[in-house]
Amino acid sequence: MALLVAGQGTTAALAQDPSAGKKTMRVGATQAMDSMNPFLAVRLVSTSIHRWMYGYLTVPDSKTLQPSPDLAESWTTSDDGLTWTFKIRAAKWSDGKPVTADDAAWTFNKMMTDEAAKTANGPAVENFESVTASGQDLTIKLKAPQASMLENPVPIMPKHVWESVTDMANYDAEKYPSVSSGPYIAVEHKKDQYVKLQANPNYWRGAPKINELQVIFYDNPQAAIAGLKNGDIDLIGRLQPPEFQAIQNDPNIEAWNTQGRRASYLQINHGATTTDDKPVGDGHPALKDVKVRQALHYAIDKQKLVDEVQNGLAKPADGSIVPPMYTDFFWEATGDTKVAYDAAKANQILDDAGYKKGADGVRTMPDGKRKLEFRFTIHTDTPIEDKLAEYLTGFFKDIGITLTTVKLDSSKFSEETGVTGNFDIAISGWSVNPDPEEVMATHLCSRRPAPGGEGGGTESFFCDETFEKLYQDQLKELDRPKRAEILKQMQERLYTQAPIIAIYYPNDLEGYRKDRITSITPIPETKGLLYGGSGYWPFYTVDVKATATGGGASGGGSNTGLIAGIVGGVVAVGLVAFLATRRRKSTADERE
Amino acid sequence: MTTPLEAAEPAAVQAAGPGDERPTHRGTLQYALSKAGGALFSIAMVIVGTFFLFRLLPGDPVRNLAQGRNMTPAQLDLERRRLGLDKPLIEQFVDFVGDTLRLDLGTSYEYKRPVLDLIGERLGPTLLLAGTGLIIAVSLGIWQGTRAGWRHGSRFDRFSTGASLVLWSVPTFWLGLLLMMVFGVGIGPIPGLFPFRGIESVDAPDGFAYILDVASHMVLPCLTLVAVVYAQYLLVMRSSLLEEVSQDYVTVARAKGLKDDDVRRRHAVPNALLPTVTLVFMRVGFVVGGAVTVETIYTWPGLGQLFYEAVRVPDFTLMQGTFMLITVAVILMNTLADVVYHMLDPRVRAA
Repeated sequence: MALLVAGQGTTAALAQDPSAGKKTMRVGATQAMDSMNPFLAVRLVSTSIHRWMYGYLTVPDSKTLQPSPDLAESWTTSDDGLTWTFKIRAAKWSDGKPVTADDAAWTFNKMMTDEAAKTANGPAVENFESVTASGQDLTIKLKAPQASMLENPVPIMPKHVWESVTDMANYDAEKYPSVSSGPYIAVEHKKDQYVKLQANPNYWRGAPKINELQVIFYDNPQAAIAGLKNGDIDLIGRLQPPEFQAIQNDPNIEAWNTQGRRASYLQINHGATTTDDKPVGDGHPALKDVKVRQALHYAIDKQKLVDEVQNGLAKPADGSIVPPMYTDFFWEATGDTKVAYDAAKANQILDDAGYKKGADGVRTMPDGKRKLEFRFTIHTDTPIEDKLAEYLTGFFKDIGITLTTVKLDSSKFSEETGVTGNFDIAISGWSVNPDPEEVMATHLCSRRPAPGGEGGGTESFFCDETFEKLYQDQLKELDRPKRAEILKQMQERLYTQAPIIAIYYPNDLEGYRKDRITSITPIPETKGLLYGGSGYWPFYTVDVKATATGGGASGGGSNTGLIAGIVGGVVAVGLVAFLATRRRKSTADERE
Repeated sequence: MTTPLEAAEPAAVQAAGPGDERPTHRGTLQYALSKAGGALFSIAMVIVGTFFLFRLLPGDPVRNLAQGRNMTPAQLDLERRRLGLDKPLIEQFVDFVGDTLRLDLGTSYEYKRPVLDLIGERLGPTLLLAGTGLIIAVSLGIWQGTRAGWRHGSRFDRFSTGASLVLWSVPTFWLGLLLMMVFGVGIGPIPGLFPFRGIESVDAPDGFAYILDVASHMVLPCLTLVAVVYAQYLLVMRSSLLEEVSQDYVTVARAKGLKDDDVRRRHAVPNALLPTVTLVFMRVGFVVGGAVTVETIYTWPGLGQLFYEAVRVPDFTLMQGTFMLITVAVILMNTLADVVYHMLDPRVRAA
């Protein structure tokens, strides 16, 4: 025990020299990396780290969030919108070899020909006819026009390193230092513990200001918050309101509260079907009636949900699935379209549509067969969703509808609400990228499960002619403002048809040590996100105080470790002494 | 699974050793063999049971893996082939048993690596934490239990029994967080004393300093583990000593005029140790599995954390592998407990 405790002081003392003068930034994450192989990695933390490591064709501009040059320094489109030519800039891989269009072509071709390489970003190349390279020119031919071409989410990989990988499905890419072309190079990864990244001296924008970026994994959020308070980590993102409130009054911590990129909404089973229009699941028939869905919408007091469920750290939704931070694409309901909280109106709609209240105050279907009793499906172990369920139950009771809560673990949840259709109303949400095409696509007919009852990737089982046509129109529209207009019409359609009902847009809640981080630029630059943002901008621009005294992981001041050692030593010596005297005393007692 | 055996066995045998009636080991071999046969049968049942248990779980594993991502039927088929789910059940079963016997536990979906490799990496940290915790808990439990039992009804007895029961009933997660706040973050003017994440610092030093670094990381998880599990050793030791105290031979020994201390140490304690020793062995397996909560609180990279990750994803092959390993560990330890008990207690041999 004495050895254990005394260790603290020595460790801190020894750690001082090697790290002196080095600028290290430590980010906490409560989700561990699934794979270092970007073809396979799907978790948010992994894709974030890969965004710091690899170059992409384009990157969202730090001010406007519009696509701006990254590895592709310029591009042209043919008149029919089917041929795209990207000019790859004269950049270098971190091992010094030049980046060529061949690298990009290899990356895309690999994904088009190897099923395993499709795991992470398969849909991104689904519409690709062919990809070829000539010098620094990359030519992508498409099967159909695709306006979101410039939002391609695929990291460009070094062909000379990766072409020898034969079994992509089982390749974990744990080779360090990694060869990449972004601001950072991975130099070490300990599973479920940490990833260390070093500044890439060959980065085409110039090396980042800090020397090392560490991502430190925590299994539970409380420990991560404690780590931030303690100075073990410098920044943490994706906080829940209670966690955020726990750091709000700490003088060393900047509590970062800004508009988020997420929309929270209710999915309504309005008649789930497969791609061949066969009904699936056991959704309540009343929900097929758009009037019922609209009545539900009127019955929800969104402001109250924001205040009570999200502790005020969200914005009530008067739009659809695109949150207001994306000013170009955000659509907001106004005038007659706008659904404002009005229980009387909700009751009126249901009365008019023939859903009569019974003696127990619960409405029945017009044919009198079934009562309006809906299930609300939420995840297990999510206090916020429990709270939400309580409020919704109250709101719906006011309009003669009974709501009971069903809790499912996440895998069962995604199966029942996304594939088998065994639900009435379910909680859902989506983090939206700067281009909303992907989130819109989750409401397409084709995203429903295949006739065999599998595949897909639908959010709502929505299949609506108007919506489909608008989706096709925006794909062909290469003029950004015109395209934004179409995307807004799609949101309006979702709003009025109500296969989903947006309830609020949660704020982006983060926290960082202002005594350590001297500057960091959010994305977008005005008042945007840090860890939760898209692209590498905040982590490329970040600057921190150099570690002059080591401090290291025990943090909180240079001599904490020493104090700990001394205190621990004293305690241990005291304990040993105490035990020794006790022992002598007891033997003395027992002597005759 | 061999390390805790080697670590725990000498201590246990030694503890029981000083008794003047050290047993001869005739017959122990046959007994051990019959117990080993039983254990093998149990392990076979575990393998069969695991196969069917994990296929009875609700939901299609491949769909679960897709996690609501947009996967084409072709991709789903590929996954199905990779997991061998396209074959008939009987063929899957034969493959599974064959693979398991060859110690091929499959490939983790999440980590894309062989499950056995992952378990191998995590076994060390778990054994370090659980082993150290077990040794401390056992020593503390036996020591305190002996004291409490010998002078039962004393203030020491009331205090230690009460305290251990409180710790035993406190939720591990809550206690872990409390210790983290008090000794990790620090309260008021008291600074944080110990790290509370992982097994080592991110910028860990080399050599001897590294050992100290790991040791300092062990303090809080170990403390939590010990606080929660030591009560059972204390209580078993206390009650079995109480039983011995009322036996005739103790009265005889006292009547012979032996020192009270000698009666306790040479007569009562060795006999009272038997149930505790059995408990130690029976619990080794459970401590390995039961470290899940502690490892999750402190992000300790052991088997418990691996199992937690596997459940969270969910990663069926990984869950299956860790589940089997923990079950087999419990079986082996129980068998060993039987054999050790047999060696230590002549009464069991006679029966």
